[in-house]
Amino acid sequence: MNSAANPDIVLNIHNLQVSFRSIAGTTRAVNGVSLDVKSGEIVGLVGESGCGKSVTIRSIVGLVPSPPAIFEAGEIWLRTRQGLTETLALRKNMRALRQIRGRDVSMIFQEPMRSLHPMMPIGRQITEGILEHEVIDPTEAYERTVEMLDLVGLPNPAGQMNRYAYELSGGMRQRALIALALVCHPQLLLADEPTTALDVTIQAQILDLIKDLRERMHMSVLLITHNMGVVANLADRVSVMYLGKIVETGAVEEVFKEPAHPYTQGLLASMPSLFSEPKTNLQSLRGIVPELAMAPQGCVFADRCPYVMPQCSETPPLVELSAAHSTACWLYTGADTHGPADDSASSVEAAPVPVLGNRNASPGQPQGQPPQPPASDGIARTASDAEETIQLQIEGVALHYPILRGLLRRQVGTVRAVDGVDLTIRQGETLGLVGESGCGKTSVGRLVTRLVDPSAGHIRFRVPGGLENITRIAQKEMKSVRRSMGMVFQDPLSSLNARMNVRNIVGEPLMLHKMARGRKVDDRVGELLELVGLRAGHQSRFPHAFSGGQRQRIAIARALATEPDFLVADEPVSALDVSVQAQILNLLLTLQQRLNLSMLFIAHDIAVVRHVSDRIAVMYLGKIVELGNARDVCSRPVHPYTEALLASIPLPLPGFEASREMPKGDLPDPANPPTGCRFHTRCPYSQPLCAAEEPILRAQDQAGGHLGACHFQDELQLQGVEELGKSLRA
Amino acid sequence: MRTYILQRLLQMIIVMIVVMVASFVIVELPPGDFLTTLREQLTEQNVDPKVIDSTVAMYRERYGLGENWFIRFAKWAWSLMKGDMGYSMQHNRPASDLIGERLSLTLWISVATLVFMFIIAIPIGMLSAIKQYSAWDHAFTFLALLGVSVPSFITALVFLLLSVTMMGATSVAGLFSPEYVTAAWSWAKFVDLLKHVWVILFIVGLGDTASTIRIMRAKMLDTLGEPYIDTARMKGLSSAKIYFRHALRVAINPIISSIGLRFPQIISGSTIVAIVLTLPLIGPLLLDALRGEDVYLACSILVLLTLALIIGNFLADLTLAWLDPRIRLES
Ligand code: SF4
Ligand code: SF4
Repeated sequence: MNSAANPDIVLNIHNLQVSFRSIAGTTRAVNGVSLDVKSGEIVGLVGESGCGKSVTIRSIVGLVPSPPAIFEAGEIWLRTRQGLTETLALRKNMRALRQIRGRDVSMIFQEPMRSLHPMMPIGRQITEGILEHEVIDPTEAYERTVEMLDLVGLPNPAGQMNRYAYELSGGMRQRALIALALVCHPQLLLADEPTTALDVTIQAQILDLIKDLRERMHMSVLLITHNMGVVANLADRVSVMYLGKIVETGAVEEVFKEPAHPYTQGLLASMPSLFSEPKTNLQSLRGIVPELAMAPQGCVFADRCPYVMPQCSETPPLVELSAAHSTACWLYTGADTHGPADDSASSVEAAPVPVLGNRNASPGQPQGQPPQPPASDGIARTASDAEETIQLQIEGVALHYPILRGLLRRQVGTVRAVDGVDLTIRQGETLGLVGESGCGKTSVGRLVTRLVDPSAGHIRFRVPGGLENITRIAQKEMKSVRRSMGMVFQDPLSSLNARMNVRNIVGEPLMLHKMARGRKVDDRVGELLELVGLRAGHQSRFPHAFSGGQRQRIAIARALATEPDFLVADEPVSALDVSVQAQILNLLLTLQQRLNLSMLFIAHDIAVVRHVSDRIAVMYLGKIVELGNARDVCSRPVHPYTEALLASIPLPLPGFEASREMPKGDLPDPANPPTGCRFHTRCPYSQPLCAAEEPILRAQDQAGGHLGACHFQDELQLQGVEELGKSLRA
Repeated sequence: MRTYILQRLLQMIIVMIVVMVASFVIVELPPGDFLTTLREQLTEQNVDPKVIDSTVAMYRERYGLGENWFIRFAKWAWSLMKGDMGYSMQHNRPASDLIGERLSLTLWISVATLVFMFIIAIPIGMLSAIKQYSAWDHAFTFLALLGVSVPSFITALVFLLLSVTMMGATSVAGLFSPEYVTAAWSWAKFVDLLKHVWVILFIVGLGDTASTIRIMRAKMLDTLGEPYIDTARMKGLSSAKIYFRHALRVAINPIISSIGLRFPQIISGSTIVAIVLTLPLIGPLLLDALRGEDVYLACSILVLLTLALIIGNFLADLTLAWLDPRIRLES
């Protein structure tokens, strides 16, 4: 509480302990958290799901219902207009809490769509907040709302007042929510994963907006996120949370440059970065976040820590590494502080941790031999040469949905989800397909596997007898083709039948294709489970008994059951925590090399895609806008959209500001794409020609392996990430 | 919004035409000629032959009997629209005499049941959700379960039994005390009706009320878990504003949209109860007419009930569109 006396402190959480009581027993979700937010400061609280960060910030404003929560200890001091207030004691005092909420402290949430009232106009939702706290004329409240909407960058703010949430895009909704939160000028904004549900280019805009508003409105921000990149981009200080405890706190520069706690180091190492060597194993943390009740005694990280030692069975003390950097770890205590600390530092270096100093492993020089794709320059080859190595080829494939309206279901338009896409995947090659929501990447995956029928084009696929045209074959014939195709989807829980045990889930394709029966199925399922790193003995369990990462392993085992040559993976890691994501990516890479799989890897995160792919295709509104060698696309993009995607990714490099112009505005409606170049409404390099004429996908270099669909790709000097990394180092 | 209303009106007209055609086919189905039957019946009753002749001629002219089916349909439909519902063989009276009062009583009782149901069920459901797992919630969960599972005719029988054996009542059955049954409408008769009607509302509405409580509770719980409720809390709003202004609006939607479905349920439910309690409602009359092949009467009732139902549905849809901007804009 002494620190709270400091007039500079807006929020001081001291030794907060929150438990939850359930039938299973009592678990402590927040276990002695202490945290400061100074005036004008942005503090990031990072951690994986279930670490207690949400409970922590919701406790500040009394949004944690009790029961089931029990507030066992701690104080939360908040600077309000009434002076310093202890809000934890107020949780039963609705009146006092209501005065604070929205006026002294506000909050924005993860899902902008669900966080706005669906049946109330935006304007009314905001003015309601003003009228609650201030005695003010309604017309004045109205005007202030319009001003606020303008401030957060909603175009035509007065016109937005009467619109409803579902009429706005995701980014606009989050802007409206920010306006709602800030309209009474609170000193502190609590942001709970504010950009997680947004597309990367929109995320970049929202992060910029929060930074900008912090200055303009003189407020502090406490941001919780699982994304280290977002923290590096936005925060001044960061606290890393694991299983209810803060394990490291420090200024962002220091923590990212010299992460002290083994968990922080692990988190950073798990992130596929745009500078790492593609197709190499990521340094992942072992194991998974244990259930709270199963947390180890002493240091909660002990069961996953590579440096664990006998001392760690006792709770580690908080060690001050510097004035603005502290960590809770035995490595940094005692007389021999030097030894272990050094030790850890060197082992961090040994691992491919994407901290600043380590990026010298310049991708330009091939040192570790990454497996070269058999045909990264395939386009240039002659047809006969290429034919034998093709696993999958699609030409001019399109997927059009009619939009039906009215009583007679008249067709009033067409959604061109996929609009003429050519792609070739060679044997043993991974093709990454990247783009934002609505770009059609998932539809391509569904077309290739014939889960939907193409409106136009051809799909050829290699089955044991040779290349077969599968564009229009009946589902019965498709069944035998599917033997050679595996599929893995984003959400492992909903793609696994909850009522089947693992043996039947993984063995189903075997039985379906009559490849095994009875005991043979058990044996094969056992093999498959071991292949994906699970125990063969777990066959009789049900999906619910597994964690998210394990479920994804089960899904992969099922996909591989029929020994396919080709795998479609649609956002296989985006629902997983960072440390688990690295494990699954490693697994996919290993399997792909071991089984010589060809893979179509679909994801929205270009860093993830770059990490696993030989070649990358970038999609925008149903069209491929760039295609080329993974590394080339990221280091020397030829299409402005690719450049924008790369620039939008929040890199774990604090203090780094993207120097380029970011794409403006929102993704257009896929039912009504812009004329000419579909990117022209957002492209910073757009010229009159762009709106008039549609650019075709054409080769950029001599070899013909790198293609782009921009009128000006020969003239434009676009920036990729590697140059960016270099310029930063210089 | 205007196109939405027009669309719905058009749909209603189409449904109406379909029902009328179907009814007409039923009218035409039974073997034998309506006029011959009518003549026989009237002769049996020793009506003056001249009157018989003119009556038969009138019906021949009115329904275009003897002409082709299209003209017959047109004439039948037209006279129906003018309010002429044909002649009831069973009762030897114009059908409209029989239907009139019963139909309006049925409609009033149905609407009253709906209102009764909402007034009871919505607050209870809301409170159960807000105070989830409280004693209040548990009690009503139990009662609602009971209400859902007991069929209404059993409730009616139990009620009859109880009131006769325990209170010695004589006039439980029926909508009116004996002295008012045939009396003309008066204030006293109305008061008498009110005295009887709540029993019926209770019996007919019990099952629906119970299920509405369940729906309301579940929807309210869902809604209270939505992030926009957190947003509302974070504005500093009072609980009352959060519950009524923010949560109720969304939670009540499925209940309003179910009005259209509840209406026929209530009418069929009230029919069973009406049979047990001998109430002068339309349901038993329709049943009789169908059993006795009293075609004009049956068809008129069918057409009128359909009309009432689709109008009810239309009003429910309008309310919904008025409440929910998403529906308004989609069309
Ligand atoms: S205290 Fe021990 S187990 Fe915990 S992080 Fe430090 S070294 Fe690892
Ligand atoms: S064609 Fe024009 S609008 Fe399209 S990406 Fe190139 S410069 Fe931008």
